Amino acid sequence: MTGLLRVTKVRVAYGDVCVLDGIDLDIARGEFVALIGPNGAGKTTLLHAIAGIAPLRGGNIDIDGHDLASAPHAAKQAIGLAIDPPNLPALLTGRECLALFAGARGLPAIPPATLALGETLSLTSVLDRRIASYSLGMRQKLGIMLGLLGEPPLLLLDEPFNGLDPRSALAFKSHLAAILTRGGTSVLLATHALDIAERHATRAVLLMDGRVRRAWSAGELAAMRESPERSLERAMAEACGRDRDENLSGPAVDVPL
Amino acid sequence: MLGAGRVPQSASMTALWHPAIRADWLVLRRTGPTAWARVLGPPVLLLAGCVALACGDLYAGYGWCLAAGALLALGGSYGIAHQRLLDALERWRFGWCGALPTARGAAVCTSLLLAAAALMTSLAFVAALLFGVSIFALHRGDWFYALAGIDLALVAGTAVVAIRVFRRGALARVHHVDGIREPLLALPWLNDPRLPHLLDWQRRAALVRWRRGGSFAMVGIVLAAVPIGAPMLEVSALVLLVLAWSWLAVVMRASADAFTSSVRLLAAVPWNVRAARMAALRYPLVATSCALVFMVIGTALLRHGMVALVWIVCAGVASAWPLARLVRATRLADPRA
Repeated sequence: MTGLLRVTKVRVAYGDVCVLDGIDLDIARGEFVALIGPNGAGKTTLLHAIAGIAPLRGGNIDIDGHDLASAPHAAKQAIGLAIDPPNLPALLTGRECLALFAGARGLPAIPPATLALGETLSLTSVLDRRIASYSLGMRQKLGIMLGLLGEPPLLLLDEPFNGLDPRSALAFKSHLAAILTRGGTSVLLATHALDIAERHATRAVLLMDGRVRRAWSAGELAAMRESPERSLERAMAEACGRDRDENLSGPAVDVPL
Repeated sequence: MLGAGRVPQSASMTALWHPAIRADWLVLRRTGPTAWARVLGPPVLLLAGCVALACGDLYAGYGWCLAAGALLALGGSYGIAHQRLLDALERWRFGWCGALPTARGAAVCTSLLLAAAALMTSLAFVAALLFGVSIFALHRGDWFYALAGIDLALVAGTAVVAIRVFRRGALARVHHVDGIREPLLALPWLNDPRLPHLLDWQRRAALVRWRRGGSFAMVGIVLAAVPIGAPMLEVSALVLLVLAWSWLAVVMRASADAFTSSVRLLAAVPWNVRAARMAALRYPLVATSCALVFMVIGTALLRHGMVALVWIVCAGVASAWPLARLVRATRLADPRA
């Protein structure tokens, strides 16, 4: 598998608070990487840094062979960030919002694949209503459609299953699986839903206090799925506990990926 | 954190102050000079405009400028108070503090106190400004009449808002004033295909803001306050200028806000910055052209060069700040920025 994303020694700080402290992460084409960790670990900030929204204090982000700092336009062509529901424009309809994103991406119209995804997620019937009238689940679906619009090779998803009804969540998981099976598309998913990470991801990465603390390979995740005594939840709890013990005794050491 | 430890529990708050007011105050203090400029800019501009109009009588003895200044004060104070009180009440009723067990009448009391404080400050500011500009005026003896006219108009404008906002059921209707209708004259070619619907977003944001400012009620009040015997041609010109100016200011601010939001929304998308700039400026430019037509007609009807000049300067100042924000937002849209 060829490399799609390379994050090297990335540092992000908000004021005096260092949120990401020297993150290294590589994602190959076709990989489904789950980013897990406790609240405030820096998962959303890492996604925002890769999307070019959070300014870097140090390090490099290379997307599809383009450096995000020196060639942001080319680098951003390769990513699709699912929009956070509260950030959607209340005054536009869902269809107008999709058209706005399509125009910004240089597409002449909303791609049929995006409209088909809307049909899969049962959002088509409300696409001509103003977003102000949408429920949280409807906004979440629209945010996902905006992220996937134009089929970018790297999807950045931040808790995309929040607010989705079980049927839509299942449909979206199937859609993701189909995309990954076709190849060429990678997914970086920040989530607290460890069952999704364990069952669907090809790799899980634990982020804590702005640093990568542990990573589980596809083989380890497969072993967890097969053994009833083992689970990602338990492995994460152990890693977090060990990390706390290490913090008490000395400085933390990064786990090489 | 907004000093949460220092904000007391709502149960201990008196009915005089809404608990959210402390958080609002902290946000204002911590946002810095920009927030203060946004809060103080419009009323200072309005009061300065009223005094500038009154100078037409104090210096040139036109004989009707005092009434014009009072009319502007009436419409302006109504618009500003209407928008700000509705915003505050909506934030307190439906925002993060909406579920707090606040004391009965706290929101109304707080709004009334804030409106009263703002009114008193405005009255003092107008008095000082008028006194200052009338020292060397030919008809400086008239400064008291100008002060009385503007002060009465400010009190009346604020009082009308207080009555309207605190009417029974006003709070429940706050959310429904945001209803959007399609334009009477659809101009689809105005939308930039490279950033479709940004213009619709700006237009709708302007409409919402216009309605919150009192919309056509403001015009009605201005017209109702026209003194008997005033030359109708000049009063019509003034109303035209008031409308064109306030509408342009609303459009510029709404366009800047909508575009700033769109920059945040599309931050992760590789959009064309040049196209974004052109698309963001389309609606404000069209609106400016329309407003200029009305302003030219208004100034032509007014037939007083100095007053026309004051209006053009006021319109320029009112549009300059949001225009600067719009241009700044287009710079921020550049991923290299």
